[in-house]
Amino acid sequence: MGTPEDKIAQMGLELPPLQQPVANYVSAVQTGNLLFLSGAGPAVPRGDNMLTGKLGRDLSVDEGYEAARSVGLVQIARLKNELGELSRVGRIVKLLAMVNSTPDFTDHPTVINGCSDLLVEVFGDAGRHARSAVGMANLPFGIPVEIEIIVEVVD
Amino acid sequence: MGAIEDRIKSLGYMVPDAATPVANYVTTVHVKSAGLVFTSGHVPRNADGSFWAGKLGVDISVDEAYKAAQNCVLGILGSLKNELGDLDRVTRVVKVLCLVNSAPDFTDHPLVANGASDLLVEIFGDKGKHARSAVGLSSLPGNVCIEVEMVVEVS
Repeated sequence: MGTPEDKIAQMGLELPPLQQPVANYVSAVQTGNLLFLSGAGPAVPRGDNMLTGKLGRDLSVDEGYEAARSVGLVQIARLKNELGELSRVGRIVKLLAMVNSTPDFTDHPTVINGCSDLLVEVFGDAGRHARSAVGMANLPFGIPVEIEIIVEVVD
Repeated sequence: MGAIEDRIKSLGYMVPDAATPVANYVTTVHVKSAGLVFTSGHVPRNADGSFWAGKLGVDISVDEAYKAAQNCVLGILGSLKNELGDLDRVTRVVKVLCLVNSAPDFTDHPLVANGASDLLVEIFGDKGKHARSAVGLSSLPGNVCIEVEMVVEVS
């Protein structure tokens, strides 16, 4: 069995560069064995603009799924930075997944599977998590998805 | 049957079977190293199993959504029973997040969320007294009127 890093390479994925928090907070706080990650948006490709848009109006569910998958990579990059080795992830515990969406949008679970599927692909059973998926009236900078994560860490 | 489940029955409620996730996630994650169980967001169901839909301030009353919040809590207790075997193992309800599907000008979120809080205190007594946030969402999966997630301490 390879490491999560091996798995990411096998999948042809690359962890995005770390982004600094946009205000007076930090990306991650560990207390005991629990690591709390701040909400993150999709990765911003080098030289490109931030992905923006509202589900039910500007973006399709498929595009939302890809955005959620990108958020997952951003959070895995944060975990790599915090923990050194991704094998120190004992369990992905809980996601709070926020979808920028119109009032009549109902397909949040399909969008957020973009992140959930990635976490299970990379971490296997340790990636199977509890989650809440909800629709927000708006999100910072107009990003389509923001996800915060609680992780159990092992030494 | 444990004392807590007896109490639930004597109050005239029933603990349903564990919820089935609608997407790629699990209903509960037990972090044994921290003595905490994190639950997914649970949604309310009608007697026929369909989603209990509605948007506060548009097409569902506070009184009805209060009952839907109770329904979410009972669903969570079903998932916790499945995780723990016995609800008597819950030593404290730590934190409740109540996510209310509501119109932009809706302000009575606390009254809706009390459906969850009142029932938890009725069932668990002092152990059921919890920290809580109640907020308005512009949309929720399947247009359910409320979604509730919890963190509980267990022995």
